[in-house]
Amino acid sequence: MFELGTFIVSIITFLIMFWIIARYGFKPLAVMLEKRRVHVETQITEAEQSRQQAEAFLSEQRQLLDEARHQAKAILDEARLQADQQGRELVAQAQEEARRLLEENRAMIERERADMLSGVMASVSSLSVELSEKLLRRHLSHEVHEEMIKEAEKILGELVC
Amino acid sequence: MPAFPYLLYNWHGGLFKINITTIGMMILTGLIVLIFLRIAMRRLDMRKPTKMQNLVEWMIDFTASMARDTMPSEEVVQWVLPFAFTMLIFLFVSNWLGVIATVAIHQNTPIPWLGLTAANLAAGHNEVPLFDSPTANMSMTLGMAVMVWLLSHARGLRHPRQYFSHFKNPMAIIEEITNPLTHGMRLFGNIFAGEALISVILGIPLLFGFIPIGLPLLLIWLLYSGFVSTIQAYVFTILMTLYVGQKSYGPSSHH
Repeated sequence: MFELGTFIVSIITFLIMFWIIARYGFKPLAVMLEKRRVHVETQITEAEQSRQQAEAFLSEQRQLLDEARHQAKAILDEARLQADQQGRELVAQAQEEARRLLEENRAMIERERADMLSGVMASVSSLSVELSEKLLRRHLSHEVHEEMIKEAEKILGELVC
Repeated sequence: MPAFPYLLYNWHGGLFKINITTIGMMILTGLIVLIFLRIAMRRLDMRKPTKMQNLVEWMIDFTASMARDTMPSEEVVQWVLPFAFTMLIFLFVSNWLGVIATVAIHQNTPIPWLGLTAANLAAGHNEVPLFDSPTANMSMTLGMAVMVWLLSHARGLRHPRQYFSHFKNPMAIIEEITNPLTHGMRLFGNIFAGEALISVILGIPLLFGFIPIGLPLLLIWLLYSGFVSTIQAYVFTILMTLYVGQKSYGPSSHH
Protein backbone atom coordinates (compact mmCIF):
# COMPACT_ATOMS: atom_id res chain seq x y z
CA MET A 1 0.00 0.00 0.00
CA PHE A 2 1.12 3.52 -0.71
CA GLU A 3 2.22 5.35 2.42
CA LEU A 4 2.87 9.05 2.11
CA GLY A 5 5.12 9.19 5.18
CA THR A 6 7.35 6.38 3.96
CA PHE A 7 7.39 8.01 0.53
CA ILE A 8 8.63 11.37 1.81
CA VAL A 9 11.00 10.00 4.44
CA SER A 10 12.55 7.53 1.98
CA ILE A 11 13.34 10.40 -0.39
CA ILE A 12 14.94 12.34 2.48
CA THR A 13 16.80 9.25 3.72
CA PHE A 14 18.10 8.50 0.27
CA LEU A 15 19.25 12.07 -0.22
CA ILE A 16 21.06 12.02 3.13
CA MET A 17 22.63 8.66 2.27
CA PHE A 18 23.58 10.01 -1.14
CA TRP A 19 25.18 13.06 0.44
CA ILE A 20 27.20 10.94 2.88
CA ILE A 21 28.25 8.37 0.27
CA ALA A 22 29.10 11.01 -2.32
CA ARG A 23 31.08 13.00 0.23
CA TYR A 24 32.97 10.18 1.98
CA GLY A 25 32.69 7.27 -0.44
CA PHE A 26 32.81 8.73 -3.92
CA LYS A 27 34.66 12.02 -3.79
CA PRO A 28 38.11 10.65 -2.79
CA LEU A 29 37.84 8.13 -5.60
CA ALA A 30 36.76 10.77 -8.08
CA VAL A 31 39.61 13.02 -6.96
CA MET A 32 42.06 10.15 -7.38
CA LEU A 33 40.68 9.30 -10.82
CA GLU A 34 40.88 12.93 -11.87
CA LYS A 35 44.45 13.10 -10.58
CA ARG A 36 45.32 9.99 -12.56
CA ARG A 37 43.65 11.37 -15.67
CA VAL A 38 45.55 14.64 -15.36
CA HIS A 39 48.78 12.74 -14.68
CA VAL A 40 48.35 10.55 -17.74
CA GLU A 41 47.45 13.55 -19.86
CA THR A 42 50.50 15.54 -18.76
CA GLN A 43 52.70 12.50 -19.29
CA ILE A 44 51.39 12.08 -22.81
CA THR A 45 51.79 15.78 -23.54
CA GLU A 46 55.31 15.75 -22.16
CA ALA A 47 56.19 12.68 -24.18
CA GLU A 48 54.85 14.33 -27.32
CA GLN A 49 56.77 17.49 -26.57
CA SER A 50 60.02 15.66 -25.95
CA ARG A 51 59.54 13.69 -29.13
CA GLN A 52 59.03 16.89 -31.06
CA GLN A 53 62.12 18.34 -29.43
CA ALA A 54 64.10 15.24 -30.31
CA GLU A 55 62.89 15.48 -33.89
CA ALA A 56 63.82 19.14 -34.11
CA PHE A 57 67.20 18.38 -32.59
CA LEU A 58 67.76 15.55 -35.04
CA SER A 59 66.85 17.67 -38.06
CA GLU A 60 69.12 20.41 -36.77
CA GLN A 61 71.94 17.92 -36.42
CA ARG A 62 71.28 16.63 -39.88
CA GLN A 63 71.33 20.15 -41.26
CA LEU A 64 74.58 20.91 -39.46
CA LEU A 65 76.10 17.72 -40.80
CA ASP A 66 75.00 18.62 -44.31
CA GLU A 67 76.47 22.06 -43.91
CA ALA A 68 79.75 20.65 -42.64
CA ARG A 69 79.84 18.23 -45.55
CA HIS A 70 79.19 21.07 -47.99
CA GLN A 71 81.88 23.18 -46.41
CA ALA A 72 84.39 20.35 -46.49
CA LYS A 73 83.59 19.77 -50.15
CA ALA A 74 83.95 23.47 -50.91
CA ILE A 75 87.27 23.65 -49.10
CA LEU A 76 88.52 20.58 -50.90
CA ASP A 77 87.40 21.94 -54.27
CA GLU A 78 89.06 25.23 -53.63
CA ALA A 79 92.24 23.53 -52.52
CA ARG A 80 92.20 21.38 -55.63
CA LEU A 81 91.66 24.43 -57.80
CA GLN A 82 94.44 26.30 -56.06
CA ALA A 83 96.78 23.36 -56.38
CA ASP A 84 95.93 23.10 -60.06
CA GLN A 85 96.59 26.74 -60.60
CA GLN A 86 99.78 26.62 -58.59
CA GLY A 87 100.95 23.63 -60.59
CA ARG A 88 100.17 25.37 -63.81
CA GLU A 89 101.99 28.46 -62.62
CA LEU A 90 104.98 26.39 -61.61
CA VAL A 91 105.08 24.67 -64.97
CA ALA A 92 104.75 28.00 -66.71
CA GLN A 93 107.52 29.43 -64.59
CA ALA A 94 109.74 26.45 -65.31
CA GLN A 95 109.03 26.71 -69.00
CA GLU A 96 109.79 30.42 -68.88
CA GLU A 97 112.99 29.74 -67.00
CA ALA A 98 114.00 27.06 -69.44
CA ARG A 99 113.24 29.34 -72.35
CA ARG A 100 115.21 32.14 -70.77
CA LEU A 101 118.16 29.86 -70.11
CA LEU A 102 118.03 28.56 -73.68
CA GLU A 103 117.90 32.10 -74.97
CA GLU A 104 120.78 33.15 -72.80
CA ASN A 105 122.82 30.15 -73.84
CA ARG A 106 122.00 30.71 -77.45
CA ALA A 107 123.00 34.35 -77.16
CA MET A 108 126.19 33.34 -75.36
CA ILE A 109 127.00 30.78 -78.06
CA GLU A 110 126.28 33.35 -80.71
CA ARG A 111 128.47 35.84 -78.99
CA GLU A 112 131.25 33.36 -78.51
CA ARG A 113 130.99 32.26 -82.08
CA ALA A 114 131.17 35.86 -83.19
CA ASP A 115 134.15 36.43 -80.92
CA MET A 116 135.83 33.32 -82.17
CA LEU A 117 135.02 34.24 -85.75
CA SER A 118 136.43 37.69 -85.35
CA GLY A 119 139.52 36.14 -83.67
CA VAL A 120 139.82 33.63 -86.44
CA MET A 121 139.29 36.35 -89.00
CA ALA A 122 142.00 38.46 -87.40
CA SER A 123 144.43 35.58 -87.28
CA VAL A 124 143.45 34.45 -90.81
CA SER A 125 143.96 37.93 -92.21
CA SER A 126 147.26 38.42 -90.43
CA LEU A 127 148.29 34.92 -91.49
CA SER A 128 147.28 35.56 -95.03
CA VAL A 129 149.19 38.84 -94.96
CA GLU A 130 152.18 37.09 -93.50
CA LEU A 131 151.82 34.39 -96.06
CA SER A 132 151.50 36.78 -98.90
CA GLU A 133 154.46 38.76 -97.46
CA LYS A 134 156.49 35.68 -97.35
CA LEU A 135 155.32 34.76 -100.82
CA LEU A 136 156.07 38.10 -102.20
CA ARG A 137 159.28 38.48 -100.15
CA ARG A 138 158.99 41.99 -99.96
CA HIS A 139 158.12 44.54 -97.42
CA LEU A 140 155.10 46.35 -98.08
CA SER A 141 154.52 49.70 -96.70
CA HIS A 142 152.46 50.05 -93.58
CA GLU A 143 149.62 51.66 -95.54
CA VAL A 144 149.47 48.91 -98.10
CA HIS A 145 149.58 46.39 -95.32
CA GLU A 146 146.62 47.98 -93.58
CA GLU A 147 144.70 48.16 -96.80
CA MET A 148 145.26 44.54 -97.55
CA ILE A 149 144.13 43.47 -94.10
CA LYS A 150 140.95 45.52 -94.54
CA GLU A 151 140.31 43.94 -97.89
CA ALA A 152 140.85 40.52 -96.53
CA GLU A 153 138.56 41.20 -93.64
CA LYS A 154 135.94 42.43 -96.02
CA ILE A 155 136.14 39.35 -98.14
CA LEU A 156 136.08 37.12 -95.11
CA GLY A 157 133.17 39.05 -93.74
CA GLU A 158 131.30 38.51 -96.98
CA LEU A 159 132.30 34.88 -96.88
CA VAL A 160 131.09 34.38 -93.33
CA CYS A 161 127.93 36.36 -93.49
CA MET B 1 0.30 -8.59 4.04
CA PRO B 2 2.80 -8.76 6.87
CA ALA B 3 2.44 -6.27 9.70
CA PHE B 4 5.15 -3.66 9.31
CA PRO B 5 6.00 -1.43 12.25
CA TYR B 6 5.11 2.21 11.63
CA LEU B 7 5.98 5.61 13.04
CA LEU B 8 3.32 8.36 13.24
CA TYR B 9 0.69 5.65 12.83
CA ASN B 10 -2.10 7.56 14.49
CA TRP B 11 -1.07 11.11 13.53
CA HIS B 12 -3.67 12.71 11.21
CA GLY B 13 -5.43 9.38 10.88
CA GLY B 14 -2.30 7.59 9.68
CA LEU B 15 -1.79 9.85 6.64
CA PHE B 16 1.92 10.23 7.27
CA LYS B 17 2.76 6.82 8.65
CA ILE B 18 6.38 5.85 8.13
CA ASN B 19 7.52 2.29 7.60
CA ILE B 20 10.31 1.79 10.14
CA THR B 21 11.66 -1.37 8.50
CA THR B 22 11.99 0.27 5.10
CA ILE B 23 13.71 3.40 6.41
CA GLY B 24 15.92 1.35 8.72
CA MET B 25 16.92 -0.92 5.85
CA MET B 26 17.72 2.11 3.72
CA ILE B 27 20.01 3.39 6.42
CA LEU B 28 21.59 -0.05 6.78
CA THR B 29 22.08 -0.26 3.00
CA GLY B 30 23.68 3.17 2.99
CA LEU B 31 26.04 2.10 5.78
CA ILE B 32 26.97 -1.12 3.96
CA VAL B 33 27.72 0.84 0.79
CA LEU B 34 29.72 3.41 2.71
CA ILE B 35 31.72 0.78 4.61
CA PHE B 36 32.38 -1.15 1.40
CA LEU B 37 33.62 1.99 -0.32
CA ARG B 38 35.75 3.00 2.66
CA ILE B 39 37.35 -0.47 2.76
CA ALA B 40 37.96 -0.31 -0.99
CA MET B 41 39.51 3.08 -0.49
CA ARG B 42 42.12 2.02 2.06
CA ARG B 43 45.56 2.73 0.62
CA LEU B 44 44.00 4.62 -2.24
CA ASP B 45 46.73 4.88 -4.81
CA MET B 46 46.93 6.36 -8.26
CA ARG B 47 49.61 3.94 -9.48
CA LYS B 48 49.12 0.66 -7.63
CA PRO B 49 45.39 0.04 -7.13
CA THR B 50 44.35 -2.85 -4.89
CA LYS B 51 41.83 -5.42 -6.07
CA MET B 52 39.00 -3.67 -4.24
CA GLN B 53 40.03 -0.33 -5.66
CA ASN B 54 40.07 -1.85 -9.14
CA LEU B 55 36.57 -3.19 -8.56
CA VAL B 56 35.25 0.20 -7.49
CA GLU B 57 37.02 1.92 -10.37
CA TRP B 58 35.43 -0.57 -12.73
CA MET B 59 32.04 0.22 -11.19
CA ILE B 60 32.58 3.94 -11.72
CA ASP B 61 33.68 3.30 -15.30
CA PHE B 62 30.63 1.13 -15.85
CA THR B 63 28.32 3.83 -14.50
CA ALA B 64 30.04 6.49 -16.58
CA SER B 65 29.79 4.49 -19.80
CA MET B 66 26.14 3.78 -19.02
CA ALA B 67 25.51 7.49 -18.55
CA ARG B 68 27.47 8.31 -21.72
CA ASP B 69 25.19 6.00 -23.69
CA THR B 70 22.06 7.81 -22.58
CA MET B 71 23.10 11.43 -22.00
CA PRO B 72 23.84 14.15 -24.51
CA SER B 73 27.13 15.54 -23.26
CA GLU B 74 30.16 14.63 -21.19
CA GLU B 75 29.47 17.56 -18.88
CA VAL B 76 26.08 16.11 -17.86
CA VAL B 77 27.67 12.69 -17.44
CA GLN B 78 30.23 14.08 -15.01
CA TRP B 79 27.49 15.97 -13.22
CA VAL B 80 25.25 12.94 -12.78
CA LEU B 81 28.05 10.44 -12.15
CA PRO B 82 28.12 10.59 -8.30
CA PHE B 83 24.34 10.33 -8.18
CA ALA B 84 24.16 7.49 -10.69
CA PHE B 85 27.01 5.63 -9.02
CA THR B 86 25.43 5.94 -5.57
CA MET B 87 22.04 4.93 -6.92
CA LEU B 88 23.40 1.89 -8.76
CA ILE B 89 25.37 0.50 -5.84
CA PHE B 90 22.67 1.43 -3.32
CA LEU B 91 19.91 -0.30 -5.26
CA PHE B 92 22.14 -3.28 -5.97
CA VAL B 93 22.81 -3.77 -2.26
CA SER B 94 19.20 -3.15 -1.22
CA ASN B 95 17.83 -5.56 -3.84
CA TRP B 96 20.27 -8.24 -2.81
CA LEU B 97 19.58 -7.85 0.92
CA GLY B 98 16.11 -9.29 0.43
CA VAL B 99 17.49 -12.19 -1.63
CA ILE B 100 20.14 -13.02 0.98
CA ALA B 101 17.77 -12.94 3.92
CA THR B 102 14.45 -11.69 5.22
CA VAL B 103 13.95 -11.64 8.95
CA ALA B 104 10.57 -11.44 10.63
CA ILE B 105 9.71 -11.86 14.26
CA HIS B 106 6.56 -13.33 15.78
CA GLN B 107 4.72 -10.72 17.76
CA ASN B 108 1.62 -11.84 19.54
CA THR B 109 0.95 -8.86 21.79
CA PRO B 110 -0.14 -5.76 19.89
CA ILE B 111 1.90 -2.52 20.15
CA PRO B 112 -0.63 0.07 18.96
CA TRP B 113 1.67 3.14 18.78
CA LEU B 114 3.98 1.30 16.33
CA GLY B 115 1.03 0.40 14.16
CA LEU B 116 1.07 -3.20 15.36
CA THR B 117 -2.61 -3.30 16.26
CA ALA B 118 -4.38 -6.54 16.90
CA ALA B 119 -6.12 -6.36 13.49
CA ASN B 120 -2.88 -5.74 11.60
CA LEU B 121 -1.07 -8.53 13.43
CA ALA B 122 -3.90 -10.90 12.66
CA ALA B 123 -3.78 -9.94 8.95
CA GLY B 124 -0.03 -10.58 8.90
CA HIS B 125 -0.16 -13.89 10.80
CA ASN B 126 1.63 -12.21 13.71
CA GLU B 127 4.74 -11.77 11.54
CA VAL B 128 6.61 -8.49 11.85
CA PRO B 129 9.38 -8.13 9.20
CA LEU B 130 12.50 -6.40 10.48
CA PHE B 131 15.02 -7.25 7.77
CA ASP B 132 13.81 -6.87 4.23
CA SER B 133 14.62 -5.24 0.91
CA PRO B 134 13.78 -1.56 1.18
CA THR B 135 12.97 -1.74 -2.54
CA ALA B 136 10.20 -4.26 -1.83
CA ASN B 137 8.19 -1.31 -0.58
CA MET B 138 6.07 0.55 -3.11
CA SER B 139 6.31 3.89 -1.35
CA MET B 140 10.07 3.76 -1.27
CA THR B 141 10.52 2.90 -4.96
CA LEU B 142 7.94 5.50 -5.96
CA GLY B 143 9.79 7.96 -3.78
CA MET B 144 13.00 7.24 -5.63
CA ALA B 145 11.22 7.54 -8.98
CA VAL B 146 9.59 10.84 -8.06
CA MET B 147 12.93 12.11 -6.78
CA VAL B 148 14.45 11.32 -10.19
CA TRP B 149 11.46 12.96 -11.84
CA LEU B 150 11.91 16.13 -9.77
CA LEU B 151 15.63 16.11 -10.51
CA SER B 152 15.08 15.81 -14.27
CA HIS B 153 12.53 18.64 -14.28
CA ALA B 154 14.74 20.85 -12.15
CA ARG B 155 17.49 20.28 -14.69
CA GLY B 156 15.11 20.86 -17.59
CA LEU B 157 14.06 24.23 -16.16
CA ARG B 158 17.62 25.49 -16.64
CA HIS B 159 16.61 25.96 -20.29
CA PRO B 160 12.95 27.04 -19.98
CA ARG B 161 12.29 27.63 -23.69
CA GLN B 162 13.30 24.14 -24.79
CA TYR B 163 11.71 22.67 -21.68
CA PHE B 164 8.29 24.18 -22.30
CA SER B 165 8.31 23.71 -26.08
CA HIS B 166 8.63 20.00 -25.33
CA PHE B 167 5.13 20.04 -23.79
CA LYS B 168 3.32 21.21 -26.92
CA ASN B 169 2.73 17.52 -27.53
CA PRO B 170 0.02 16.24 -25.13
CA MET B 171 1.58 12.78 -25.20
CA ALA B 172 4.60 14.30 -23.48
CA ILE B 173 2.40 15.28 -20.54
CA ILE B 174 1.01 11.77 -20.24
CA GLU B 175 4.54 10.47 -20.43
CA GLU B 176 5.52 12.70 -17.53
CA ILE B 177 2.97 10.86 -15.39
CA THR B 178 3.56 7.33 -16.62
CA ASN B 179 7.35 7.55 -16.60
CA PRO B 180 7.86 7.96 -12.84
CA LEU B 181 5.01 5.55 -12.13
CA THR B 182 6.46 2.73 -14.23
CA HIS B 183 9.96 3.65 -13.14
CA GLY B 184 9.09 3.07 -9.49
CA MET B 185 6.58 0.26 -9.88
CA ARG B 186 8.89 -1.81 -12.08
CA LEU B 187 11.54 -1.94 -9.38
CA PHE B 188 9.00 -2.58 -6.64
CA GLY B 189 7.18 -5.29 -8.57
CA ASN B 190 10.30 -7.25 -9.43
CA ILE B 191 11.78 -7.19 -5.95
CA PHE B 192 8.47 -7.70 -4.15
CA ALA B 193 7.55 -10.64 -6.38
CA GLY B 194 10.94 -12.20 -5.75
CA GLU B 195 10.57 -11.94 -2.01
CA ALA B 196 6.94 -13.01 -2.00
CA LEU B 197 7.67 -16.13 -4.01
CA ILE B 198 10.66 -16.97 -1.78
CA SER B 199 8.39 -16.87 1.28
CA VAL B 200 5.77 -18.95 -0.53
CA ILE B 201 8.36 -21.58 -1.51
CA LEU B 202 9.67 -21.60 2.05
CA GLY B 203 6.14 -22.33 3.14
CA ILE B 204 5.98 -25.61 1.18
CA PRO B 205 5.71 -28.37 3.78
CA LEU B 206 8.39 -31.08 4.02
CA LEU B 207 7.50 -34.41 2.39
CA PHE B 208 7.16 -37.09 5.06
CA GLY B 209 8.27 -34.46 7.49
CA PHE B 210 11.93 -34.42 6.41
CA ILE B 211 12.30 -34.28 2.57
CA PRO B 212 12.50 -30.61 1.46
CA ILE B 213 10.79 -30.90 -1.92
CA GLY B 214 10.78 -27.14 -2.31
CA LEU B 215 14.59 -26.88 -2.12
CA PRO B 216 15.43 -27.17 -5.86
CA LEU B 217 12.67 -24.72 -6.64
CA LEU B 218 14.02 -22.38 -3.98
CA LEU B 219 17.57 -22.56 -5.35
CA ILE B 220 16.38 -21.82 -8.88
CA TRP B 221 14.23 -18.97 -7.68
CA LEU B 222 17.03 -17.52 -5.53
CA LEU B 223 19.38 -17.54 -8.55
CA TYR B 224 16.71 -15.90 -10.64
CA SER B 225 15.98 -13.35 -7.91
CA GLY B 226 19.65 -12.51 -7.67
CA PHE B 227 19.74 -11.99 -11.42
CA VAL B 228 16.62 -9.84 -11.32
CA SER B 229 17.98 -7.83 -8.39
CA THR B 230 21.13 -7.01 -10.32
CA ILE B 231 19.28 -6.22 -13.53
CA GLN B 232 16.69 -4.03 -11.80
CA ALA B 233 19.36 -1.92 -10.10
CA TYR B 234 20.93 -1.42 -13.53
CA VAL B 235 17.59 -0.70 -15.22
CA PHE B 236 16.50 1.80 -12.60
CA THR B 237 19.81 3.67 -12.84
CA ILE B 238 19.97 3.69 -16.63
CA LEU B 239 16.38 4.99 -16.77
CA MET B 240 17.39 7.67 -14.30
CA THR B 241 20.26 8.79 -16.54
CA LEU B 242 17.93 8.59 -19.54
CA TYR B 243 15.24 10.78 -17.95
CA VAL B 244 17.76 13.31 -16.69
CA GLY B 245 19.57 13.23 -20.03
CA GLN B 246 16.34 13.88 -21.95
CA LYS B 247 15.88 17.09 -20.01
CA SER B 248 19.49 18.24 -20.28
CA TYR B 249 19.33 20.70 -23.14
CA GLY B 250 22.87 21.97 -23.06
CA PRO B 251 25.25 21.68 -25.99
CA SER B 252 25.80 18.04 -26.87
CA SER B 253 29.39 16.93 -27.14
CA HIS B 254 29.11 13.44 -28.53
CA HIS B 255 26.82 11.21 -30.64
